[in-house]
Amino acid sequence: MRRTRPGGLALGAALLVALCALAAWHVTQGTTAIGLPELLGWLGGADGDAAVIVESRLPRIAAAIVVGLALGAAGYVMQTLTGNPLASPDTLAVNGGASAAIALAAVFGISLPGLGGAGLAFAGGLIAALAVVALGRGRGSTTQMVLVGTALALALQSVTTVTIILAEQETSGLYAWGVGQLSQNGMATVAQLLPVVVLGIAVLLLLARRLDVLALGEEAATTIGVGVGSLRLSALVASVALAAAAVAIAGPIGFVGLAAPIVIRMLASRIHGAARHLVAIPLAALAGAVLVVGADVLLRAVLSGQAALDVPTGVVTSLIGAVCIIVLARSMAGASETESMTVLGARTIARSAWLPIVLAAIVLAVMTVAAVLLGDRMLLLGDVVNWLAGRAGDAVRLTLDARAPRIVAAVLAGVALALSGALVQAVARNALAEPYLLGVAGGAGLGAVGIITLVPVATGWAIAGSALGGGALAGVVVLLLVGWRRLGSLRLVLTGLAMSAATAALTSLLIVTTDPFNQGKAIVWLAGSTYGRGFEDAVPVAVVIVLAGIGLLWMHRDLDLAQLDESTPRLLGVRLTAVQVIALGMAVALASTAVAAIGVVAFVGLVAPHAARALVGARHRVLLPLAALLGGSLTLLADTLGRTLIAPAQLPAGVMTALVGIPYFIWLVLQAGRAR
Amino acid sequence: MPQRMSLPRPLLAGAAVLTALALAACGTTEAPAETPAPGAAGEAVTVTDARGVEVEIPAGVEDVVALEWSAVEHLQTVGIAPIGVADVAGYEDWAGFGAPLEGEPTDVGTRIEPSVDAIAGLAPDLIVAVAGRDEGAYADLEAIAPVLVLQGADAADPLETMYADLRLVGEAVGGGDAAEAAITAFQTHVEELTATVDDAGLTGTSLAQMDGYDTGGQISIRPYADGALLPAAFEAIGFENGWAEAGDAQYGLGATDVEGLTALADDTHILYMAVGDDDVFQNQLADNAIWTGLPTVQAGNVHRLPDGIWLFGGVDSLTAYLDSLVAALAPTP
Repeated sequence: MRRTRPGGLALGAALLVALCALAAWHVTQGTTAIGLPELLGWLGGADGDAAVIVESRLPRIAAAIVVGLALGAAGYVMQTLTGNPLASPDTLAVNGGASAAIALAAVFGISLPGLGGAGLAFAGGLIAALAVVALGRGRGSTTQMVLVGTALALALQSVTTVTIILAEQETSGLYAWGVGQLSQNGMATVAQLLPVVVLGIAVLLLLARRLDVLALGEEAATTIGVGVGSLRLSALVASVALAAAAVAIAGPIGFVGLAAPIVIRMLASRIHGAARHLVAIPLAALAGAVLVVGADVLLRAVLSGQAALDVPTGVVTSLIGAVCIIVLARSMAGASETESMTVLGARTIARSAWLPIVLAAIVLAVMTVAAVLLGDRMLLLGDVVNWLAGRAGDAVRLTLDARAPRIVAAVLAGVALALSGALVQAVARNALAEPYLLGVAGGAGLGAVGIITLVPVATGWAIAGSALGGGALAGVVVLLLVGWRRLGSLRLVLTGLAMSAATAALTSLLIVTTDPFNQGKAIVWLAGSTYGRGFEDAVPVAVVIVLAGIGLLWMHRDLDLAQLDESTPRLLGVRLTAVQVIALGMAVALASTAVAAIGVVAFVGLVAPHAARALVGARHRVLLPLAALLGGSLTLLADTLGRTLIAPAQLPAGVMTALVGIPYFIWLVLQAGRAR
Repeated sequence: MPQRMSLPRPLLAGAAVLTALALAACGTTEAPAETPAPGAAGEAVTVTDARGVEVEIPAGVEDVVALEWSAVEHLQTVGIAPIGVADVAGYEDWAGFGAPLEGEPTDVGTRIEPSVDAIAGLAPDLIVAVAGRDEGAYADLEAIAPVLVLQGADAADPLETMYADLRLVGEAVGGGDAAEAAITAFQTHVEELTATVDDAGLTGTSLAQMDGYDTGGQISIRPYADGALLPAAFEAIGFENGWAEAGDAQYGLGATDVEGLTALADDTHILYMAVGDDDVFQNQLADNAIWTGLPTVQAGNVHRLPDGIWLFGGVDSLTAYLDSLVAALAPTP
């Protein structure tokens, strides 16, 4: 049986028609009742509603189209350059840089002469991404660059969260902007940035043929005489400029730069000739535009004019993109295996395993003592002795009563997240994998924020319970969507990513719609805070750590094999599927209890296993204990600094983990890159 | 040789740091507790707060910590200057004109996560919080002192909610009479202003209070719908709220964009407050054809009120708001 396959041109034409139809519909939507008749009247020369059409409707549709085109093209090329389907403007820190620039400007009243807020976003995004390129360039693999980019993006996101927390009044609109909104103040911003977008896409198209060769592999490209270094640099700079222009126009519209290229990549692989960059880049750009415009149309069609303003367009693009990716990932037969986990740890930094583990244990012990003494109120050991003996004075007693459970919660959650991350990375065989990737952290966050916002007097137990439920549900849904037998494949990574984006979008939606003017609480919770924790909050995570520890004693060798590839473990008689399911089950339980204990702490689950692998290698017998110790230490250090640095104000642990861990992590990635 | 030396060095350094820490960290910052202090004289009062919790408050409350700005203002109104306030600097900027801070309170951290350590260090007799914040920390805070939770805002009846919070604070600290007196004085002032507005022929004038934000070049507008405190206050002196859309259930705040402002009636006056140079209406919207084309803008009926009147405050903030409003619309020669 022979299937007819539409050509790339037909796909492009279909996308273009859809885009035009959606754009026409889009212009008739808005906060006022100006619809088709008024629009036709304006075209016919009546100027009664001209201001609204020219200053509001047309800029908005122009913004939607330009942003979509830029993100689609940029994302496609970033994925080619890094050879990783998870690469996107987000992973190169463009969005993080832009948000941080806007947030800092709001607090310190900075303004760039001649540039408005959009110029600041553009500059911030560009500088952050170029820093990632400069750090990663010429040292090791592009995956390392993406790791550096992800880390920097998290750190910059933390800077933004810090400013939202410390300057609640000044940054009122920032949370919604950070999810991506299309509203425009006239055509000026789009007009300023349009040349950047046109130029960026033109450069990418000029490089298209050489990108085709690069996609075959660096060695092949070098053999044919393509200058890989300069090609990579110019393509990166062009795509980064595109992404920065997009964020300057509309804020960080999430997921378009990731979803549109993946969708086109999957479709194009079935179409003769469409996988060539000269065809695929315009297709991805068009898909991006259709996604952004479609999301905005859908949003404003479902909600009436005023209500639609509460929901950032980025929320809808994330949801639509997530559904697209899940459906496509399921329907694509034999989605290829992901890379093996030799990215880091091919050669280890430490020569023996015991020394780093012992040192890490000592560091954790010292830090625990320090954490007890440090804080808004500084204590001495004698105070702690008095407290333990039950004869401390009121101030010391109350301080330590509140401080001790926070320390326990921080350490346990850090340990759980690190173990969870190590397990997910082993099963998914992807260097960017972490508990977030399975949607577990996102699901848990959604569950908790749901109960916080919908039930005003929710108790700690109810919040922990709904976080657990949400995390477990998201994890199980991902596992079911992927199918037990394909856990080691790209399908797991894509589906988890989609789930993660969808839960993040729903969480934002909950925050901006239910409590748009009192977001502080949910934001702090999402940033991962030990504030107000009691010992009882840490019990579930402690239980799960003990159970998982026992399980891992028994199966750590199977994990060593499972992370290699699909066939080796089976040849050696390991029941790979069972190992993967159990490991992921543990990862889900660990991550969701950790989130229930201290909220959504990013970074630890990604970094601690990588750091451990770089130090002592990929054998889980040594990797897991070291990762656990590092995770506990990092979270504890972050919490202690967050409580101490700017006391009496305090910063959530999750915000500080990224800020504290970044320099070390980047150093580690570059070090491991050099060692190879 | 250096390679071989490098391994023990971290160990040595670690041991040195440990020893130093241990030596430095001995001793205490506070004498061990002795016999518990005798209970304060007089009778305790028991009040039911916004959580529905019965809070028992010892008599003779003096040292109070306020975790929200409206709580600060209510306490000052009934004669208590809080010894601890969350985000003192922010209060000066955003509420200091309407209800200037009395005394020199200790900063106890952010309004989102006030510091338990700092509050414990102040050893207050009472902590006043506002519903919707700090729930996670109530247990820790209640170990320090009774926690009184105010309603803060309720769009069902914003003025009554504000009065109820003020009365609750008064009852809790033995200032019930002061609270009633302040409410009566405010209502008397409202009647005077009503007469002024009437004399100026402004009764029934439509006003639209709003905030403007610029984030990354995008302009968002936050209009105060029916149910918000400020419109309730200006309606009490004879004006009408020109913003017809609904707001949220707690604060009565709406959302719109510049296009949405075309819904305002031609004779509506636009009012807004800002802090410092951060004035979206004067700066960012100066060249926006929708804004400059609004009849109310063309007629010059846009008024910026003074910085530092808290939008969700108590009787002093509202008095300052109404006085500035009347001064802006009906300038006395």
